This record gives sequence, structure tokens and C-alpha cells, in this order.
Amino acid sequence: MRVRRVWYAVRGRAYPRTVGAAREPSWIFYDLALPILGVLAFVFVYRALGAPPQFTGYVIMGGATVAFWMNVMWNMAAQFYWEKHQGNLELYMMVPCGLVPILLGMAAGGMLATTVRAAVVVAVGVLLFQAPLAVSSWPLFALIFALGLVALYGLGMFFSSLFLLWGREAWHLVSLLQEPVYLASGFYFPVRALGMWVGMVASLIPITLALDGLRQVMFPAFHRGLLPLAWEVAGLALLAVLFPVLALRMLRFMERLARQEGRLSFRW
Amino acid sequence: MLARALRTARVGFWLGWQVQSNWTDPFLFFVYSIARPLGGTLILVFMFYVVAGGRRGPMLDFFVVGAALWPVVVWAMQGLAWGLLEDREHFKTIAYIYTAPVPFWAYLVGRGLASAVVALPATVLTLTVGTAVLRVPLILSPDRLPALAAAFLLGIAGLVAVGMTIVGALFLISGEAWRLPDAVGQGLYLLCGAVFPLTVLPGWLQPLTRLFPVTYWLEAMRRILLPAGAVHSIPGLGDRAVPGALLLATGLWVLVAGLAYAAGLARARQKGILDASTGY
Repeated sequence: MRVRRVWYAVRGRAYPRTVGAAREPSWIFYDLALPILGVLAFVFVYRALGAPPQFTGYVIMGGATVAFWMNVMWNMAAQFYWEKHQGNLELYMMVPCGLVPILLGMAAGGMLATTVRAAVVVAVGVLLFQAPLAVSSWPLFALIFALGLVALYGLGMFFSSLFLLWGREAWHLVSLLQEPVYLASGFYFPVRALGMWVGMVASLIPITLALDGLRQVMFPAFHRGLLPLAWEVAGLALLAVLFPVLALRMLRFMERLARQEGRLSFRW
Repeated sequence: MLARALRTARVGFWLGWQVQSNWTDPFLFFVYSIARPLGGTLILVFMFYVVAGGRRGPMLDFFVVGAALWPVVVWAMQGLAWGLLEDREHFKTIAYIYTAPVPFWAYLVGRGLASAVVALPATVLTLTVGTAVLRVPLILSPDRLPALAAAFLLGIAGLVAVGMTIVGALFLISGEAWRLPDAVGQGLYLLCGAVFPLTVLPGWLQPLTRLFPVTYWLEAMRRILLPAGAVHSIPGLGDRAVPGALLLATGLWVLVAGLAYAAGLARARQKGILDASTGY
């Protein structure tokens, strides 16, 4: 019975992210055009510098990754902020399935929809610029991609718990985590350029290791990774366990605190 | 009329500043206001050094000045649009503000200017770090200051005009309206030579780049701040022609903004959607 309730909740919350999105087609413009515009700008930066074509590939992969990061930050982490404003959060708290299945539904829908968007960004980038993207090992590519997604959406769930207690403060935090994260995780250049120790600290953000690992798989002769590929996969596997577990604990803790302090329905 | 508009803009500025900044203490707000722009600049700096192998060059100067000024573009232009959207969707106060005996456009201009001020610390800090650490040869001699001030103010006027044009469209847009200012910002980042010379763009895109005051503003600021021989975004345009082009583009956009604002507002009132919250 409980499993069925959880499944219904996951499916119900994933629905607006996938099927329901078709009702508001303007997302096609915003979710596809915006990352592509960003990609184009950085490709032209490398062209102005006379960089080798592999750098164009770096930018295209970075642009596709931006779609995931934005989805996790705005549509996972900050989602509870919007839900508070619309009065849905209290309803979520009252339904007999808990918050976690709702977040899992958001994650499942978000992963699916964002993977499609990221694939379009990559396809457009490759077609426009003939970027030399070639996967040397599809199983490794799939493994890094899957581990990266689990760790990343786990991080999103972790951040979402902050919104149970805070409003504007947490919103501004999420807003802050854009360019600094693009920098630290090496979205548009090899993260190794930041230095080994900065790169290691940045590896706490799952995208850092995922992006660097994927680049090692896609440009084996050109890309100098932060760590050997096997270590990066192991690190990602660790983060893929760590963040969901931390998120569950944090959600429980913040929910209790928010109920105690009566801040669950605070809108600002 | 003018005095009322100025007073309204001042109050809009004060309110905008409060909305932007009173969620935290001044130090944290300062960190917040510089972190994103500084992150954006450092991305470009690392992209440059990865390709150049650690050597500096004139493109680095181009990057630093463009990246330092870009937050002003984003905040000033988007500040107006966010002001409208926050009042309509978030605080749900637009009906009360609109029905008050004040010019609504002046209130929005005030909101936009408050946002532009938020961007200034990042601009100043980026230029300072660029000069001190990256050895960008900025020229801040007294004889250039009047030109710098005039170009800067003209640029702000152009940005406010672009922002007001977006507001005209937002009166009529629901659903994903929050993302339109971002989309325009991204488009301008690509088309206005923010971080690369416009000569790199394909030929068919180049005429489009000449339509926006931001293009001429960034070019004018670079020509004032950087020494002769620096990389130009529009090499075909002489030093004396750039301010003229900036003035002309700004004037045209002020006209466009006035028309877009009036048309959008009139249509929204006809349709009864001026204060319609769309559930973002």
C-alpha cells in the first residue's frame, strides 16, 4: 500500500515536468534557446582566441551541463519556494506520502526533460560548429552520466530542504550558485586549470567530476583530467550515495525545525 | 510633471534598493553582489590562460572591461522588468501602485536604477582586480573622465530604454514571463560584443549587432578606458563616431521604449490583465 502511494506521488509530481510541460510550449524557446545562446557566446570567445576545435567541444558539453544545473537549482532546490508562494507546500505536508516521493517525482521528471534539452543543445552545437565529439567508451559514458545525475539531484534535494525554513535568503543563495559554480566546476574549460587542490575542493559539486570524467571519455588524447578516470568514477559513486542520504537526513531535520518554529508557511 | 516623475523615480529607487538588499546584512549583500560577476570574469580569464598558455595579451584587456561592465547591463535592464514582475506576480501590489497618483513608468525606472547600483561594486572591483592582478592597462586620467561619465550615463539611459521595451512586452506575457528578461540578456551577451569582438560573428549577424545601444556603449567604454592599440569590437568605426552612434541608438531606443510601453499598457488594460497573476 505504502509503495503504491509513493509510486503515485512520484508519477504525479513527474507529470507536470514531462507530459504537462506540453501545455505551455514557451519552455521550448526558453529551455532550448537560452543554453544555446550561452554556448554560442563562449564558442565565439574561443574562436576569438584562436583555440583548437576541441575547446568548442568543451563549451558545448558545458552548455548542456548548464541545463542540468539550472534544472536542479531552480526546479528542484528552489521549487519549494514557489510552492510556498502558491500554497502547495502545506498540501504536500498533509498528503500521506511525505516530501521525499514528491522530490523524487520532481527529480525523475526533471532528469528526463532536461536530458532531452541537453541532447538538443549538444546536437545543435555539433551541427553548427562541427565540434569533434566522439565517445571512446559508451558504457563508461553511461555510467558517469548516471552517477552524476543521481549525485546532482541528491544535491538538489539537499538544497530544497533549506526552503522549508528560509525564503528569500535561500532563494538568493541558489541565485548565487551560478557563475561561481560554472567557474569552480570547469564548465567551459578543463577544471585542472584551477590547480589540483581547488579542483579537489570543487569536486564536492558532482558536476565537476562528472564533466571532467565525460571529457576524458570524449577527448581521450586531448583532455588532461583532474584525476585518473577510475578515481573520478569512484568519487562520483561516493557522492551518488552521500548526497541522497544527506538529503534525507536534512529534509527530516529541517521539516522538524520548520514545524517547531512555525515557518513552513512563511512566504518571504 | 517632471518633478512628480523625479520624485516617483526616487521613491521607486528607494523601494527597489530595499527589495534588493534588506534580506541580509551589508557585508553578505556585498559578497552576494560581487560573487556572480567576479565568477563570470574569472571564467573568461581562465579560458584565456588555458588557450594562451599563461601569457597575457590584448584580448585579456577586452575580456576584463567587457566582463566588468556586463553586470550593469544585466541589472539595469532586467531591474525594470523584475520590478514589474515582482509587483504583479510575487508581492501582488501592482494594482495599488498603478492606481496611486504617480507615473508608473517613473516608478519602474527608479526600480531599474536601484538594480544598476547593485551592479556597481562588482564593476569597480573587477576593474580594480583587473588592473592590480592581471595588469590590464586602464587609463583613468582626468582628461578622459568627462567622456567616461557622459558615455556611462548615456549607456544607462540606453539600458533603461531596452528594459522599458521589455516591460511593454511583459504587460502581455504570462507563464514564463520571468524568463524573458534573461533571454534578452543572453541575446545581448551574444550580439553586443560583451566578451568577444563582433568581427568574430558571422557576417549575416553583424547588421543586427548595430541595432542596440549596448554595442556602442561597451565599445565607447573600452575605447575610453583602454589605450590606443587595444582590440576593438567594431574596428570600422572611428573613435569620434562611436559616441555619436551611441547617442543615436539610445535616442531611437527611447522612442521605441515609449511606444512599446504605451502600447503594452493600453492593451493590457483593454484585456484586463494588468494585474493578472499567472502563477509562475
